[in-house]
Amino acid sequence: MTHTTKTQISWLKVGAMAALLAAPLAVATPAVAQQYPSADETLDWTIAFGPGGGNDIMARTIIEILTKYDMYPGDISPENRAGGSGAVGWGYLFAQSGDSYGISTTSGSFVTTPLQADTPWQPEDFTPVALLATDDLVLVVNGSSEIQDIEEFIAAAQASPMNIGGTGTVNVDFIVPTLFAQKAGFEFDYVSFNSMADQTTALLSDALDAMVGNPGEILGLIESGELRPLVFSGQNTPAALEGVPTMGDIGFDIGVSMPRGLILAPDAPAEAQDWWIETMKKVVETPEWAEYIATNTLTPTVIYGEDFRTFLGNTKNGFEVVLREVGAID
Amino acid sequence: MDIFSDLMMGLSLAITPINLLYLLAGAMLGMIVGVIPGFGPSAGLAILLPVTFGMDPVGAIMMLAAIYYGAMYGGTITSILLNTPGESATVASTFDGFPLAKNGRAGPALVMQAVASFVGGTAGVIMITLMAPMFAQVSRSFGPPEYFLLAVMGMLTLIVMIGQQWKLGIISAMIGFALGTVGVDLETGQGRYTFGSAELIGGIYFIPIAIGLFGLGELFYAFHQGTHKTGTGGIVEYDKEERFWPTKHDFMSTRMTMARNSVLGFIVGVIPGAGATIASLMAYSTERSLSKHPERFGKGEMAGLVAPETANNAASSGAMIPLLTLGIPGSASTAVLLAAFLMWGLRPGPLFMEQNPELAWGLIASMYLGNMVLLIISIFAIPLFVQMIKVPYRILGPCVIVICTLGTFSVHASFIETYLMFAAGIVGFFMRLYGFSPAALVLALVLGPLAEEALRQTLTISRGSFSIFIERQASLWIIGVTLLLVVGLPLLNRFGKSAGDAENVGS
Repeated sequence: MTHTTKTQISWLKVGAMAALLAAPLAVATPAVAQQYPSADETLDWTIAFGPGGGNDIMARTIIEILTKYDMYPGDISPENRAGGSGAVGWGYLFAQSGDSYGISTTSGSFVTTPLQADTPWQPEDFTPVALLATDDLVLVVNGSSEIQDIEEFIAAAQASPMNIGGTGTVNVDFIVPTLFAQKAGFEFDYVSFNSMADQTTALLSDALDAMVGNPGEILGLIESGELRPLVFSGQNTPAALEGVPTMGDIGFDIGVSMPRGLILAPDAPAEAQDWWIETMKKVVETPEWAEYIATNTLTPTVIYGEDFRTFLGNTKNGFEVVLREVGAID
Repeated sequence: MDIFSDLMMGLSLAITPINLLYLLAGAMLGMIVGVIPGFGPSAGLAILLPVTFGMDPVGAIMMLAAIYYGAMYGGTITSILLNTPGESATVASTFDGFPLAKNGRAGPALVMQAVASFVGGTAGVIMITLMAPMFAQVSRSFGPPEYFLLAVMGMLTLIVMIGQQWKLGIISAMIGFALGTVGVDLETGQGRYTFGSAELIGGIYFIPIAIGLFGLGELFYAFHQGTHKTGTGGIVEYDKEERFWPTKHDFMSTRMTMARNSVLGFIVGVIPGAGATIASLMAYSTERSLSKHPERFGKGEMAGLVAPETANNAASSGAMIPLLTLGIPGSASTAVLLAAFLMWGLRPGPLFMEQNPELAWGLIASMYLGNMVLLIISIFAIPLFVQMIKVPYRILGPCVIVICTLGTFSVHASFIETYLMFAAGIVGFFMRLYGFSPAALVLALVLGPLAEEALRQTLTISRGSFSIFIERQASLWIIGVTLLLVVGLPLLNRFGKSAGDAENVGS
């Protein structure tokens, strides 16, 4: 991704020197706003997970869009700093407090990791840029199941408790069905798996009654009829799941989802935050972004700046309440 | 569906100069990455995945498949030469691979592992080509009860490994099970022995432990023995001219081993999540039970190396079945391939092969070519690798420590894992000194959490009833096969032997 050549650097240096010499001559205030982002600062883009994961794909999609439309003047250096369920990468960004050239994308672990471990940071500590999309879940049963739709499912679950599989416990996979069951008035046994692959196999082998999962990963199985989608946890059903009601549609809205957004280091300068908010407004309008949302069946939910901080705080508190209730965290 | 015309179409896509170049580059990169302790196929794929960004999908998938296979071939090299398994699937290859190298047969051992890998890998691809839909049924009949039974089956192989020193072996396994409890409890979500550390949420990863116990432990032991001061200071006296090629006997005595374990490895590989590790262990213990000379296992028996090597490569082909037919990744490596599919905007699932015939059959064709390319690369590269053990120990030792540290740290960029590796190295030295079993410890660490999770999932599903294990058809099959392997084979073996041989075993 580094395009800067030696000659360019020296020219940029000359330019910067000239700017410095000229600065006292110019009127001070508007010049500050002009300076971010500076073309000779490399943007240090932390990806808190390994290549190929959801977080990585989102970060690289945004970088591709920024590069393609020349929205960012300098170099962008994406680094995968994986480890400790995101603690390593976001810890690295946390240490850049006050810097305007450290940036990262968030995902579910941004909220759940601090609940599980003593991370020095909390999600609200970072400078929020924007919530761009949410990851929502679909409840599915085996294609050979007698249950045809969500009403039948709820009726069957009220008659005799069912089991529902999901990935992990301190996770939206557990919280979504728990809240949904409370609202719809049925009981269930949650079966926790290590990965989407394990739980899908368990459902296909008829060991599980139902499971929740990200539609993107099981769309192929839904399309072929191996799995039957019943209900979607997001605000709007994605095109690929046409005809499936949302939890809100049937009157049991739970209002919890996983945030996919963009953050800067804590206490980043306001002009950096403003610049990124304005830039992201352009990014979400591009056809490439629309395609990303569609292929990954995300729900486009856009919130900017401080509202995103509030959203993160609310999500974290909501999780904490449910998880404390069931004793998953102390 | 005409399989052969599809395969021809795949081959014609694969055999373009640029795609062959990608294949060759991938195979070499994979092999180099696989040789570094700590980098197995999945870590190698994840790290090299960004290289394929922006490539044409057919070329990219060929390169990724080649990296996958290359790492499988390369991973065994350090198991044989340095007793350091690069990943869990090659732990079983150290049992007889390293003794072979110590006996001065490093060259034949490396050639035979390349041949075994080739046979296993190619047999696997042939089975994919001919019977993918049939095996898709196998991979969809496995749920938590079956995984628990499989893990138990794997644990039975522990008994084979522990052997004579059973008290020390049991202690070793118990340490492994104890380490396996670290991490977030999957069912309740509570941290167990994580001490608030985010790096321990996911539990103790076995790679640093295996590298420490086997690689560093062996190294410290060699220094303790004063190997670096004696003779040429190398591990063994080694004469390339005379002892490079395997003997006719090596090939003839292991041909049935390769045939059996290609099938066994493939079937286990088809089961999502079981994969190459369990396949290689089962292969080793089955082979030992079937052998006329079980007493030679662990002391440098060629069949003891060929069996796990054939099986783990056949299993890595088998792991493609759930990926291609269901869109479910059966292993960490195929999960990276799945991520690549998603990144190209593809929709993996039962309709994947129909909707993307070019990609699916291009991938399958590249697996045939990849195995051939790797066999050739291996044959040429082995004389180079073998030079490694000629290096005096006083020079080789520190280099190995540096490479192990680098490899362990780079996989997850974790200091805790690096410290764990060094701690395991010291423990491994004492285990070696007093006759404990590092293999039992590592396997318990791999299988313990698998068994625990699967059992708790099973009992949540069955609401506490154990009868679920005999109500499901797939479970009954596994119980049957386990009984056959554990009770049937040894009995058969005993009766089949002549009296003289039986006395031999007894002594």
